[in-house]
Amino acid sequence: MALNPQVSSADDVVEAMNLSTVQGRSLWADARARFFRNKAAMFAFFLLIALIIFSLFGGYLSDYDRETVDFSLIGANAYKGVPSFETGHFFGTDASGRDLYARVVQGTRISIMVGIVGAIVAVVVGTLYGATAGYFGGRLDGVMMRTVDVLMSIPFMFVLIIMLVVFGRSILMLFIGIALISWFDMSRIARGQTLSIKNKEFVEVAHAIGVHPLKIILRHIVPNLAGIVVVYATLLVPQLIIFESFISFLGLGVQEPNTSLGALISEGAANMSNGTPWQLTYPLIFFVLTIFAFFFVGDGLRDALDPKDR
Amino acid sequence: MTFRATLKATTTAVLLTGATAAYADGHATHPETGEPLASEQTFVYWVGDESPSFDPGLTEDVDGSAHARDLFEGLMNQDADGNLIPGVATGYEVSDDGLVYTFTLRDNAKWSNGDPVVAGDFEYAWKRAASPELASPYSWYMGLMALENVDAVIAGDMDKEELGVTALDDTTLEVRLSQPLPYFPQMVVHTTTFPVHAATVEAHGADWTKPENIVSNGAFKLSEHVPGEKLVRVRNDQYWDNENTILEEVTALVITDENVALTRYLAGELDQTQVPAGQFPRLSEEYPDEAVSVPSACSYYYTINMTDTTNPALLDQNVRQALSMAIDRDVIVESVLAGGQKPAYTFTHWATAGFETPDVPSASMTQEERNAKAAELMAAAGYGEDNPLELNLIYNTNESHKSVAIAISQMWKQTLGVETELANQEWKTFLETRGNQDYEIARAGWCADYNEASTFLDLMDSNSGYNDAAYSNPKVDELLAAARTSDNPQANYTEVEQIIADELPIIPIYHYAEVNMQNDKLGGWPFNNFQQNWYSKDLYKIAE
Amino acid sequence: MLNLIIRRLTVAIPTLLILVILSFVLMYTAPGGPFTSERPLPAQVLANIEAKYGLDQPFWKQIVNYVTGVVTQFDFGPSFQYKDRSVNDIIAQGFPVTLTYGFWSFLIACIVGITLGVFAALKQNSWLDYLAVGFTIGAQVLPNFVMAPMLVIVFTLWLGWLPGGGWNGGAWQNMVMPVIALSTSYMASIARITRSAMLEVLNSNFIRTAQAKGLSMRRVVIRHALKPAMQPVLSYLGPAFVGMITGSVIIDVYFSTGGIGKEFVNSAFNRDYSVIMGITILLGTLTILFNLIVDLLYAWIDPKIRY
Repeated sequence: MALNPQVSSADDVVEAMNLSTVQGRSLWADARARFFRNKAAMFAFFLLIALIIFSLFGGYLSDYDRETVDFSLIGANAYKGVPSFETGHFFGTDASGRDLYARVVQGTRISIMVGIVGAIVAVVVGTLYGATAGYFGGRLDGVMMRTVDVLMSIPFMFVLIIMLVVFGRSILMLFIGIALISWFDMSRIARGQTLSIKNKEFVEVAHAIGVHPLKIILRHIVPNLAGIVVVYATLLVPQLIIFESFISFLGLGVQEPNTSLGALISEGAANMSNGTPWQLTYPLIFFVLTIFAFFFVGDGLRDALDPKDR
Repeated sequence: MTFRATLKATTTAVLLTGATAAYADGHATHPETGEPLASEQTFVYWVGDESPSFDPGLTEDVDGSAHARDLFEGLMNQDADGNLIPGVATGYEVSDDGLVYTFTLRDNAKWSNGDPVVAGDFEYAWKRAASPELASPYSWYMGLMALENVDAVIAGDMDKEELGVTALDDTTLEVRLSQPLPYFPQMVVHTTTFPVHAATVEAHGADWTKPENIVSNGAFKLSEHVPGEKLVRVRNDQYWDNENTILEEVTALVITDENVALTRYLAGELDQTQVPAGQFPRLSEEYPDEAVSVPSACSYYYTINMTDTTNPALLDQNVRQALSMAIDRDVIVESVLAGGQKPAYTFTHWATAGFETPDVPSASMTQEERNAKAAELMAAAGYGEDNPLELNLIYNTNESHKSVAIAISQMWKQTLGVETELANQEWKTFLETRGNQDYEIARAGWCADYNEASTFLDLMDSNSGYNDAAYSNPKVDELLAAARTSDNPQANYTEVEQIIADELPIIPIYHYAEVNMQNDKLGGWPFNNFQQNWYSKDLYKIAE
Repeated sequence: MLNLIIRRLTVAIPTLLILVILSFVLMYTAPGGPFTSERPLPAQVLANIEAKYGLDQPFWKQIVNYVTGVVTQFDFGPSFQYKDRSVNDIIAQGFPVTLTYGFWSFLIACIVGITLGVFAALKQNSWLDYLAVGFTIGAQVLPNFVMAPMLVIVFTLWLGWLPGGGWNGGAWQNMVMPVIALSTSYMASIARITRSAMLEVLNSNFIRTAQAKGLSMRRVVIRHALKPAMQPVLSYLGPAFVGMITGSVIIDVYFSTGGIGKEFVNSAFNRDYSVIMGITILLGTLTILFNLIVDLLYAWIDPKIRY
């Protein structure tokens, strides 16, 4: 389980962006064209859209909701709760006699949401932090970046477990906890980028005419980090989804009757040899598809923004 | 490797010395049942986690107690049915006022290093267990035994030498109580009352239970302990009744995941493991001789916060009645758990010794009647479709508690239209929340400390530290107090149960069963021992 | 170089101190304590226990005592949960186990991962490449809490080749499944990173020049391409090693190896304060150390880098 964001991919991104900023505005059009030509990435992109639509509207296809228990099915899962179009339980039922399809729909939604929200928080915090450190430079930069170094040596996995134990368990805490371990790399990347943008004419002009530094950071620096941010975020999402599944495995995930793919997989794995393999396979398929999709879209974006690889 | 070799060498030595040779022989038979015995006499069983301790004075969990019962021997033991049989003591006498017990010890009991087991070892162990220096979490058990001065000793106000236990000579132990306890002899079966070897404890301090230091007096001795992996004990040839011990080696394997434990059982690595929730029906079909379910001394219930921090609706008796009636306990025990548990309408476990389950109205109704009645009561309380009741239910993180909570919340919803918000909490957080009455409805379970109904019902006493419902009814307190000295407490217990069934500070759900997969070649397992107190010295392996 | 080591080590001390204080605060805010139990202890018994472990002292004094004990005597205190084990005992027993299977997993992940990545890059867009890419993504995606019980079912129940768990003093039979379960996803990440780094290097001018000079592909790769391609891999290795040690909880849970991962998670659940602290400090130190080693390797690979 790769719990640590891949440094290398982020480094690649930095290089890509260094080149791209030099090339100016046509970059985006070029990148778009390159992305469209990348079959794997395009396929993953449509798959991702399909998954998001499924997670939002998939529930309408079924007569069942995620929480209603069919009491005639519990305990008789292995032969009555099998996936079937006739009963309307497309994916069968879970160990408590609930419709697995409805639960997979919701699990996919929560997992994607955890990934995306976590990534957004990480990216926003990381970008602002890094941009601030990079723009002001000097001693402030030193202090801020040393702090990141210090925080990075803390085994955050454990701190997170302790935090979840401490603050009880809510999806909100989960997002915050996960974001807390994810923004360090982003802040380093953002700082590096800012250092090179800082000396560009438009920033210097803004500075010269006395625009407030905060405004410069928000108006002129952050927008120029957009590309890198998007790529990094896309690559971060699948890692956060994997991470959430681990939290669920520890029994510290979302609360019933809500569920996530990680929680469903963990339940399914417990019943692996109990005659109900579908309880593992369906959530696992959606888990794998979701992560595949994000990986390929992320890779595609990176390649699209990095002309060197072509 | 070296370990194995040594083990083989010892086994051979034992074979040559005669007495035990017969049992290691493939053609030997069990002295009582006449069953043929296997040549390899080992027992490997599952434990879910490392025990905090198996030092008799400090033991606090079920698995640790099982280790201690093999390694040490107390005054009295239990037989396969839970009856008292002599242990280190051959018997006891009790004074007319019931306050002084005099135990006579056998003179041939020995520690694993050859020292004789004397009454002074018990005196030392009991005083140690109660002392503030040891600070045992189970020193409260000494208090429960009502030993003279025990509370003052625990509080540190009195020297531990003042505790009501004295070795009159090497084979006579006198115990003085502060109040008569009819079930006192049953209490010395508990591990907290087991002796310890004073010289070893003094010499090694907290490390005395390590394999290289430990000196014990049970039928087995510790040979290997790898925390988190396994604990191995082998026959103790200094044990006074060693010739009747059949097993050579007993191993407890720590396996956290019970599904993996089951896989390893099926692969033949274990002789006994627990059946994960919901898998009993399949396993008993596939392995009818190995899947076993026996009553175990615990009750499962939902406790209701009766203080003013609760949901006001729950203070209405009609609502509590309706919630209890709407739970289809047959579905819970037959479909959700499906492991031989029994539906509960009263608190005390049905199999408790000398206890007769009282009749309560809801027990004899059909579920349809109960549902109808529940809907009626709910309407009377003013809740219905246009005014649905919203509740909060907490349980500690566990797959089986989760399944039960999901099922019950759905029963409430489908029958009564009650919206229940479920929240699982990690164990310690859960205990704190529940203990502080910071909840509305909470899952709870209670296991018997001794085989008598008061071990359950005392929880309903308004002064009980474990009364998480914060329930208080002077009538109940009075009945329970009277039961303690009564010759026939059943009448009081019946009345208490009926009051609880009416007022429902707790909603009983089911009585536990122990559900195991067990090698059908394992003989001597005490299925009828309600408290699941088993002794490896009674076990044996039958030849294929 | 020496300068870097000294600077890092001076930063390490405040880092660890922050870690200690942070963990202490978090621990004490957690609801429930080490002696909260289903059967609430009588006040007097609880007071005895707290006095025994020094928990009746004021908060700041506990931290000071703790830090003093650690610094002066290297004593991390007794476990509150396991009555006959000290934190030093627990670490001394569990850490070598985790380190052993962690080391083998790390080694195998590196060797197989790098080899796979290099070959996939050399044969870009061949079936080998697709196979490698497929494997790497698949392996990264399959949660190891699914893989671990599956391994037990296959190797122990069906095939009967390997013991289903236990450590057995580190016998190889007991190590096979833990190493597979732990190394696979890291192997996959390393392969992915190696592949893309290698592709980049192979496309660079100096490699093209070397090829044009007629050097054999093998020679080009070994002499020229491998070293620069290893840079991104290296920067992944630090976090990967630490991730392996912390991710070992799943290994300990499924294979009963008795390592440090499960001890930590258990200690968090049991509120075994001293064990939480001990393991957190251990892992913090390890993280710092490993990041340092990786930086040194970095400097060795690319002498242009100056710290």
